[in-house]
Amino acid sequence: MSTQRIFPKGVSEADFDEALGRFRETLGADSVLTESDQLAPYTKIMMAGADEDYIPSAALMPTSTEQVQEIARICNEFTIPIWTISTGKNLGYGSAAPGETGQVILDMKRMNRILDVDPEVCTALIEPGVTYQQLYDYIQEKGYRLMLDPPAPSAIAGPVGNTLDRGVGYTPYGDHFMFQCGMEVVLADGEKIRTGMGGIENSSSWQVFKWGYGPYIDGLFTQSNYGIVTKMGLWLMPEPPAYRPFIIQYPDTEDLEEIVEILRPLRISQVIPNAVVIVHTLWDAGTHVERKDFFDGSGSISREAIERIKEHEGIGEWNVYAALYGTPEQVETNWKIVEQAFSQSDKAKLMYGEEAEQRGGGFEYRSALMKGEMNLQEFGLYNWRGGGGSMWFAPVSQAKGSETLDQTRLAMKILDKYGFDYVAEFIVAWREMHHVIDLLYNRQDPEETQRAYDCFSELIDEFSKRGYGLYRTNTEFMEKVAGTFGEPLREVHKTLKNALDPKGILSPGKSGIRQ
Amino acid sequence: MTITRRQLLRGGLVLGSAIPVSLSTGWMGQAMAAGLSPNGEIQLFGVGRSTAELGRGLREWGLRPVEAGRFDPLALTALPVGSLAAGFTDEAGLALLTSQLVGRGRILALGRHKSGDHQLVSQRGPVTQAFDQKAGSWQAALGKEYGRLAQGPATDRLVRNFRDQSARQSNTSELSFLVQV
Repeated sequence: MSTQRIFPKGVSEADFDEALGRFRETLGADSVLTESDQLAPYTKIMMAGADEDYIPSAALMPTSTEQVQEIARICNEFTIPIWTISTGKNLGYGSAAPGETGQVILDMKRMNRILDVDPEVCTALIEPGVTYQQLYDYIQEKGYRLMLDPPAPSAIAGPVGNTLDRGVGYTPYGDHFMFQCGMEVVLADGEKIRTGMGGIENSSSWQVFKWGYGPYIDGLFTQSNYGIVTKMGLWLMPEPPAYRPFIIQYPDTEDLEEIVEILRPLRISQVIPNAVVIVHTLWDAGTHVERKDFFDGSGSISREAIERIKEHEGIGEWNVYAALYGTPEQVETNWKIVEQAFSQSDKAKLMYGEEAEQRGGGFEYRSALMKGEMNLQEFGLYNWRGGGGSMWFAPVSQAKGSETLDQTRLAMKILDKYGFDYVAEFIVAWREMHHVIDLLYNRQDPEETQRAYDCFSELIDEFSKRGYGLYRTNTEFMEKVAGTFGEPLREVHKTLKNALDPKGILSPGKSGIRQ
Repeated sequence: MTITRRQLLRGGLVLGSAIPVSLSTGWMGQAMAAGLSPNGEIQLFGVGRSTAELGRGLREWGLRPVEAGRFDPLALTALPVGSLAAGFTDEAGLALLTSQLVGRGRILALGRHKSGDHQLVSQRGPVTQAFDQKAGSWQAALGKEYGRLAQGPATDRLVRNFRDQSARQSNTSELSFLVQV
């Protein structure tokens, strides 16, 4: 059977074969993947892009920093672009696929050593292939009373990849980059650096003092393509003696304004310390029910069907999942403050303990996530509409009720225009909210896929016009989203790229950054 | 400036875009033996009639299906290297399946089945005998095909669509898979 090979742009077959030979010498033949059935898992995308735009030419699986350094040198010599993934679980944002066809995947999965966990200062130093489950198991085996902060893909995702894409979790340590401390980075020329205090030989404070000396540069290696992170430090939360997850239900769309106005002072003052989520009906139910059981139309789900879901599941239009942490006395005191705050409303329904457990919706898995335990429940959203299409639209808003309601109405209007459902939640940080909408569509249907593409594009445009920017996006739309942040900023990104990676070999196109 | 990736592609600015790519051809296809388990074992994930019929087809081809219950992505990657697995799952399971196999395994074939429409994607050569009525059911015919593909060499990615006119209309889709960890 004849075959057609894929090469990196501008690289000849002879040069690519020579580079592959060098990669095999460096890594061993088993760590250089070139066969179609081995590469097939790297081609699975869920966004509305064309499959043929996201096919790698090979995948490399290093096991050490030294191997990564040698890969960078070889790529520089042959001008081979590499696309770096950690555990490859960025589902809905590009998964494990390359940013562009022809790129070589640098898969860091086998660099999965837990180098240190310090139960006294509550820090960890890990490699990019370490998963949350692996770190969780390690902490349990050691008997340390430390908590992790997994995102929804939890067990199978990893702290390094999620932090570098500035992902979030649901405990008080929910903003992952905020709780990162110290990196080891391989630059495009193969040089290795350590950030923060890591430059000092035998430093004992690499994982406890973020800022080091001189310019703080860790942020340059997040959502970027300026280096390959090979080690990362993170802070771990001490397990509290008492934990009380709870839920607050509200019945109507407009109630969002009230929820946010009541929550904001509680979050900023740290009465409620965790990354609270305000979950819409369709997300809360969509993790475990399917749309076709309630609605058989092809357009956006009807209001009548949403009301039936609420009734059937016993959930609200908005479902706030939050938790209190501390000593039993602290939890009791803070619970009274929360109760009093929400008692101003005649619409809020507060529940915890048995009452919350008996309710439908996502209380069980949310309670687990908010105390750093793993589950895969949220993958159930992919069954909501079926067809394998999913794109996360994730604008940021201030934690102000009027603004969150404005975003919700705008998103609902645009999604409705294109026939999609508002499957969304807000993740409440201290002063801002991540508004996360899962644009679910049937990727097997070309017309629907094009519609999803157009819808996502219009969402970006219309939100941008109102001053709302995205915190993260999928590879198909990185270029467009980068454009919404303005040319002067893009020029700075490009200047840095040219300085640190003059041949443009590291993840070209990541966050819209190129030479 | 807000420029889309598609606009860049049209302008030929995106690296790699200039190479003609055909999904029906694909990547480098060095022929390679599948390295089957010596006793012909294959883990069979899923529950219900479809899975049982798929298992029957695999058995008729000479493999030994081992019932593994509802698809569990963590159980899949815990299997010994070289293990074969097949079965049915849903969209969530498929996302987890492909994601868990990144760098850890091979996707030999995937199928989407709904109301008599079958789309089969194979990395092990063409699917030729699927939905042979003599097998008794489309799932059993698929099992025989998957058994055959499991023993074939890696090839290009091939997509084939089948239509079974006699199938009942249904709004339920089933997703099948054949993989090797």
